[in-house]
Amino acid sequence: MKAKAKSLKKNAPAIPILVWIGFLVGVPLIFVVVLSFLSRDNLGNIVFKFSLDNYKRMFDPIYLRVFANSFLLAILTGFITLIIGYPVAYFTTRLKAKKRSFVTALIVLPFWVSSLLRTYGWVILLGKTGLINNVLVGLNIIDQPLNMMYKFSTTLIGTAYMLIPFMIIAVYNSVDKLDRSLLEASYDLGAGKWKTFFNITLPLTIPGISGGFTLVFIPSLGMFFVSDLLGGGRTVFLGNLINTQVTRGRNRPLAAAFSVGMIVLVVLVLLIYNRVTKNKGRELF
Amino acid sequence: MDKRVSAIRTFYLSLFFIVLYIPVLSVILYSFNKSPSTAQWTGFTLDWYRDLFRDRVIVESLKISVQVAVLTSILSAILGTATSIVSMYVTRKMEKTIRGIMLLPLLVPEVALGISLLIFFTALKLPFGILTLVLSHSLFCVPYVYIMVQLRLKEINKSIFEAAKDLGATRGQIIRTIILPLVTPSIITSSLLALAISLDDVIISTYMSGPTSTTLPVHIFSMMRVGVTPKINALCTLILVGTFFIVGLSQLFNKKVL
Repeated sequence: MKAKAKSLKKNAPAIPILVWIGFLVGVPLIFVVVLSFLSRDNLGNIVFKFSLDNYKRMFDPIYLRVFANSFLLAILTGFITLIIGYPVAYFTTRLKAKKRSFVTALIVLPFWVSSLLRTYGWVILLGKTGLINNVLVGLNIIDQPLNMMYKFSTTLIGTAYMLIPFMIIAVYNSVDKLDRSLLEASYDLGAGKWKTFFNITLPLTIPGISGGFTLVFIPSLGMFFVSDLLGGGRTVFLGNLINTQVTRGRNRPLAAAFSVGMIVLVVLVLLIYNRVTKNKGRELF
Repeated sequence: MDKRVSAIRTFYLSLFFIVLYIPVLSVILYSFNKSPSTAQWTGFTLDWYRDLFRDRVIVESLKISVQVAVLTSILSAILGTATSIVSMYVTRKMEKTIRGIMLLPLLVPEVALGISLLIFFTALKLPFGILTLVLSHSLFCVPYVYIMVQLRLKEINKSIFEAAKDLGATRGQIIRTIILPLVTPSIITSSLLALAISLDDVIISTYMSGPTSTTLPVHIFSMMRVGVTPKINALCTLILVGTFFIVGLSQLFNKKVL
């Protein structure tokens, strides 16, 4: 009892911090959950009556498609950033110190470029009168400009482009920590480059890969401005749906229910991450 | 053999960085194009930049963005530093809890966080505007300050504190005369980064902006939805220059890039 009182006294200064974050994250999240069980009247005002309607609507095939789209987008973003980003991270660790710090700076720099600018850059590249079409038509490779905008794949390019630095950094840290003597041992025992990579390097960098995957997966669920600008809203994703329900549909309870759905998805991914990296060391938290 | 490997490596990395930077560079390039369309290059001009400063909505939203970013970075510097110093003195278990809680705002998807704050502040009848923007931005900026100050604190030799204590320094004296001076570079670096993060935020700001207080990124997003104009390119280019200036400044105080 006395020990408990002592640790309580020791922890007292932490209370304001916990209250502050709890007040701005915890309480609002509780509000979302509560609101997701309410409904609204025709004017968009919230009606205080418990109902499961919002969750029932989620299982409407139209909305299930939205979940499927978002999930697919997030998973594919994860895979694409992994496939493109892994070699970048791997090669970077092999560079000499001076070159390496320059290359890592190049990887990190896009973080400080506005995310809107980076999305808009693709609009300028891929548009009907965009740079790529101009060049291709100008060189007489094609006669008609290609239609590259407003597709699922355009959104995918956008999210992957936006999030790839996270993947590279996570994998880089993991490869960098790798014990080189293991690789040498593998070569000495007669294994080739590829065999060594698949049997040793890849399994040992799984914490980095899953860390990167988590860091890419979570934001790609909600980046509505990317799918708005590049996907043109043709394929509806969770982020867009929630956003339009709040800003134009004025159906906050429904938006709240979908937010809860999104958070559940994130929690699932974090649980998988914890499971995969158990006993293997973690890159995140 | 080794030469070939290194050639492949150089080729792959170069190709990757070309693709990574082409979208950004083309935005900058077309901000100087005379033609309002990207269809052709008709010559160099600075007209689009001049147009920006005549646009009252842009100037107003820039003012709001700057106010919010400055207040956010000050608030984050105070709260983030306080949190990391406090976590030095609490029990192990509490320290772990604080670390977990600090990551929470970064783990919840921004849309969900934005909506939850929107609902919460509406219920509290808080007027949407600078106050709500600063509160919400500080939520994801404080963790950055906390993490960077924490990293610095870990580097400090703990025996300094012991020595100070043995010589009769109180906890307040140790914090004021030893800890704070040692972590000041990290505080400056991370609060400048917080400034940049706040200036760039779109998602949370969409929900936190009031009727008369739209931030610049929210306004740019609505411009982009309407269509492509070189004015947007010019605006984005200026913001890029501004952000790089802030980040560059922050690196003067800390050699370690995030």
